[in-house]
Amino acid sequence: MSRRDLLRRLVSICSAGLALPLAIPGLAYLLSPLKKGSGGSSYDALARLSDLKVGEPRAFAVIRDLRDAWVKYPRQPIGAVWLIRQPEGVDPPVVALTAECPHLGCAVALAADGKSFLCPCHNSVFGIDGKPQNAVSPRPMDPLDIQIAKGDDPEIRVKFERFRPQSDRRIPLA
Amino acid sequence: MLKPLADWLDDRTGSRRLLAAALDLRTTAAARWRNTIGPVFAILFVIEAFTGLLLMLAYSPSSSTAWGSVLYIDHALWMGWFIRGVHYFAGQAMVILGGLYLLRALWSRAYHRPREFNWWLGLILLFLAVSLSRTGHLLPWDQEGYWSTKIETNIAGGVPIAGPYVQKLVVGGDEYGNLTVTRFHAAHVVLLPVLLAVCLAAQIALGRRQAVAPPAGESTGTGSSWLEHALKNLVASLVVLAVVIGIVLARGGAELEAPADPTSGDYPARPDWYFLWLFQLLRIFPSELRLVATLVIPGAIVAVLFLIPLLDRLLPRGLAHVLACAVVVALLGGAGYLSWRALAVDAADAHYHAARQEADAARDRAIALARDPSAGVPPEGSTFLLRLDPLTRGRGVLEKKCLGCHVLDGKGQGEQTASDLARFGSREWLTGMLKDPASKTYFGAVAGAEGMVEWKRTSKLKPQELEQVVDFVALFPSIPDDLTPDEWLSRKEIADHPGLPLFHKDCGTCHVVEGLCEGGTRDAPGLFAWGSHRWIERMVRKPAALDRYGYLEPKHQMPPFAAEQVSSRDLEMVVRFLKGDYLKPAAPR
Repeated sequence: MSRRDLLRRLVSICSAGLALPLAIPGLAYLLSPLKKGSGGSSYDALARLSDLKVGEPRAFAVIRDLRDAWVKYPRQPIGAVWLIRQPEGVDPPVVALTAECPHLGCAVALAADGKSFLCPCHNSVFGIDGKPQNAVSPRPMDPLDIQIAKGDDPEIRVKFERFRPQSDRRIPLA
Repeated sequence: MLKPLADWLDDRTGSRRLLAAALDLRTTAAARWRNTIGPVFAILFVIEAFTGLLLMLAYSPSSSTAWGSVLYIDHALWMGWFIRGVHYFAGQAMVILGGLYLLRALWSRAYHRPREFNWWLGLILLFLAVSLSRTGHLLPWDQEGYWSTKIETNIAGGVPIAGPYVQKLVVGGDEYGNLTVTRFHAAHVVLLPVLLAVCLAAQIALGRRQAVAPPAGESTGTGSSWLEHALKNLVASLVVLAVVIGIVLARGGAELEAPADPTSGDYPARPDWYFLWLFQLLRIFPSELRLVATLVIPGAIVAVLFLIPLLDRLLPRGLAHVLACAVVVALLGGAGYLSWRALAVDAADAHYHAARQEADAARDRAIALARDPSAGVPPEGSTFLLRLDPLTRGRGVLEKKCLGCHVLDGKGQGEQTASDLARFGSREWLTGMLKDPASKTYFGAVAGAEGMVEWKRTSKLKPQELEQVVDFVALFPSIPDDLTPDEWLSRKEIADHPGLPLFHKDCGTCHVVEGLCEGGTRDAPGLFAWGSHRWIERMVRKPAALDRYGYLEPKHQMPPFAAEQVSSRDLEMVVRFLKGDYLKPAAPR
């Protein structure tokens, strides 16, 4: 190996020695958002059965402590859920659909007829059962797990989750 | 495989010629270690730009969010503490290397004609490095950044005529806050780095011009290949980076003090090491001469440093050099002595240590609160972390307003003329009081409050019955604020409580609980919701009310505290402190 080659090699080694101790932590730092969240979503009581009428969907806010990076906002609405009471004798008696559109995440509203859902962003339309009625959304509105206690006017508890938009399958985020 | 692509690019853009011109690999000088200072300074600047950009991904420049975002960088992001640590300490290293560069230039006479601009640019680069360090210091909006910026800008504001205007422009007004942060942020991430990059480029261009065409009469030694230059520069940079990383690892990153709080009374702000001598000058000079310390001396030093290249116009070259070196050595010696004095004075100052300890405790508490998932930085901003912490704020208000008469765990600040407030409203307090009401912990220190003592003498309750009364009264402090006595008494668990009839019979002859007992035998405070927030609030606001201690002689009554003296929020903090309703500090390790 000539002196020049040796110098070249040493320069490369030193450059790497200078760059790597910063580049590797820097990369880790950049990848921090991929960290697993504390996750574990819980059930929130959103309404009582008597708040709902058959065939008339109502939206309820999910109120939780919101942690936005370093700030903690106590008791904030973090999402909305449509609750649809089913006809007598159907089990479960209530269906919960997240208001987040499976197309691109806009908030789904009730259509003017009160009998279907309409997303105002790209006009995806869903039936009252959440099934898409045009070809905009890749999948039906996302149903959420629900718990209804026994009793004459039970609380409706919903497990609020978010799902990846665009996909034709339901993939929970985080 | 890459060659065709490079050829294609070169064919379209002439990239090879551009690159060769930019790198300018011809050199006539010998590679020497002492010539690596400038290049290391430049490499540190690149490191600062890189780590700074990373920090900007999470940093949020406002007085309410800055501290929280910096804590988030330190603790929530992978290697965030390391990136911030390197950014902080490499910045300090730039100040040192900027100084070393000037010293070397001085020693090797690299400031004489035609190199005057090398010297001036070197000086400007050093000032820019210091300015970057100073502006960066404020950005976390912690106690250290807040107070030292306030001091430094107030010094600038003391300059006659222009001072106040300059200060206002830098601070963004009269108050230190959001505009101060945004202004310092803009200066720190754009203005100063761009100026520094321009000066650095100019310095490099000058250096090249002189290396390619050395000034007449200078021997440059045998030329070394650019590889040798590169290697020496890289090795020197590696050594400096290793030292920086060593410091970062040893100290666990850069410091973050408690969030800035303009109302905190006793924060011992100290400047960074390179300003300690100025700090000591300020301590030495009396007020009427303070401009000597803040303006005349620093201004004279800067002026002398700028004029050094012109000295040999006045004096023979040899003499000018000796004089310049002597001046700089004397300045360094003086600054070194003053810095050492500053540290020595602090080391011997008990008050400084006490204030420092308090600041450490506040910092640890703030960080614990912010990191705890159940607490977190409140939306009002990081300053409110401690203001909304019952342990810090509640205890502070209690000490300031209450412990002149009351005591806490036996400790007060004057003659005890009221009860011990530690755990007031708890079952423990209640049990102790019913056992020995004449103790100073309870009513022993209050003239005229002998009711409970007399009860103790005459009561015929059996121990088991007394226990049931305690069970019953221990429910009082948790009666919700929106419940009336009737609503509370109609609850099944209250109506059926075994302690209720005993309370009615033994306590109700003196104490009033609306809807349950009338009192009347002798004067006593009303007990509905005793120990709760609303009971304590009324006690604090209107202690002379008939349902509190209005029956005592006026001179033995507790003085009332209106909302102007103790705000509702502070009162809530005190109550929650007494109830132990706060994030418990971790057991000391």
